[in-house]
Amino acid sequence: MSTARAAGILLAKELRLEFRTRELLTTTVIFALVVVVLFSYAFDPTAAESRRYGPGLLWIAFLFAGSLMLNPSFAREQSNDTLDALRMAPVSSFAILLGKMLANFIYMSLAEIVLVPVFAVLYNISLAGVVGRLILVLILGTLGLVITGTVFSAVSAHARMRELLLPLLLLPILAPLLIAAVEATASLLADPPELDRTWVAFLAGFDTVFLTASWLLCDYLVEE
Amino acid sequence: MKDTRSSMSGQLAGAVLVCALLFFAGYAALFIAPDERTMHEIQRIFYFHLPSWITSFSAFFVVFLANVAYIITRKPKWDWLGVAGAEVGVVCCTIGLITGPIWAHPVWGVWWTWDARLTTTFILWLLYITYLLLRGLLEDPERRASLSAIFGIFAFLDVPLVYMSNRLWRTQHPQPVIAGGQGSGLDPVMSKVLAICIFAVYGVMIILYHQRYALERLRHEYEELRFEVESRAADAASMGKGNR
Amino acid sequence: MKNFGSLFAAWMVVWAVFFVYEVSVARRVARLREEIERLKQQLREG
Repeated sequence: MSTARAAGILLAKELRLEFRTRELLTTTVIFALVVVVLFSYAFDPTAAESRRYGPGLLWIAFLFAGSLMLNPSFAREQSNDTLDALRMAPVSSFAILLGKMLANFIYMSLAEIVLVPVFAVLYNISLAGVVGRLILVLILGTLGLVITGTVFSAVSAHARMRELLLPLLLLPILAPLLIAAVEATASLLADPPELDRTWVAFLAGFDTVFLTASWLLCDYLVEE
Repeated sequence: MKDTRSSMSGQLAGAVLVCALLFFAGYAALFIAPDERTMHEIQRIFYFHLPSWITSFSAFFVVFLANVAYIITRKPKWDWLGVAGAEVGVVCCTIGLITGPIWAHPVWGVWWTWDARLTTTFILWLLYITYLLLRGLLEDPERRASLSAIFGIFAFLDVPLVYMSNRLWRTQHPQPVIAGGQGSGLDPVMSKVLAICIFAVYGVMIILYHQRYALERLRHEYEELRFEVESRAADAASMGKGNR
Repeated sequence: MKNFGSLFAAWMVVWAVFFVYEVSVARRVARLREEIERLKQQLREG
């Protein structure tokens, strides 16, 4: 079975599983929402400040919510040893990893679809005219988060304290992604809005590097 | 017991050598090096600050190579090389991160600045501490070796990205330029002292690396022995049951 | 002798960090050696 087809089937399985209860999705959205609201208590944003700190806030909310949401990705497999069953199936380990990455990407994207408008409303930021480009930045940033996060979810699944370990592994690694995503978003919300090509290229580069590394190392991630 | 005693003296010899090298470097830095025009005494910290950073980065680079080698060959010695290098690298990096602000505060008036070099060093330090933490939380030795190797590879790949992203950010948000080093026109005596100190600190790092590697090899021997003892006890227990 | 205090502090830090680490490694080695001897003894007797 080709990797793409296998990944597609596994993705469908993941989604079917999640949409039965939708617990992961709802908790992610609510957590990110809480972070966004909490920031408004910590800082009292006037219009100019919102524009300046808004992007940073938004991406920190995504990173925190994401690093919590990514945990169950591989941890869920452990209770019934379903990962062993997957390994015995005629699918490549990259397909397994890819299936999970895509599933996580969809969950994060759904959360973002809810959060970005809410954020825009709460902080009085107008997204008119930049939606398309903003979506591009969101996609590239989320891909980076999801690629590294899924890999580290596999790494921490076997460790003690895995709920604490995953954010600890993930957040320092994502520092460059955070800068890039925040700067790209900020330049879109600036006056006049402009898509910063450098940062977008950087995000694409980040995603490529880590996707390639995941592909090269996938066998060791999914193994016994 | 002969084995124990000979390696004990090896250990002691290593420790003595470390002391000697540090004394030697210290003497050079504090007494042989000429006085610097603007910063005077405080500039001498540079003779330890720069070598600590170079050795730390070298150690981390070796860790990266060891991680890749482990993934490819699965030989435990690469895992030992990895964890030993990570610890030694963190030690040298810690020295760099402490001596840096001690030097910076009287000279620039600030303890810290988020420029590309400093930020990258800080994140590097955090990443390898995380590497060591991860190892502490993984119990099965083989899994510990392979999973930490994967994290180590990702961490090392991240470092140039951290540096680049910070530099890009800096070109867009220029801050007052605070030069990190004093490479500009080093007096020849200063260069020699610097070379001596680099050599000395590298020597210290290599000795510590060697000792930490030996410790890891010892731990491997311990785990194998323990396994043998436990499996013999299990055999004895099951044989006892079988005879009944 | 400007800032000699800071120079001294930095110098002490270098020593302290290397020294503490060296002691930490030496202690761990000693403890492991003990454990290994104990296990070898157990195997010899067993």
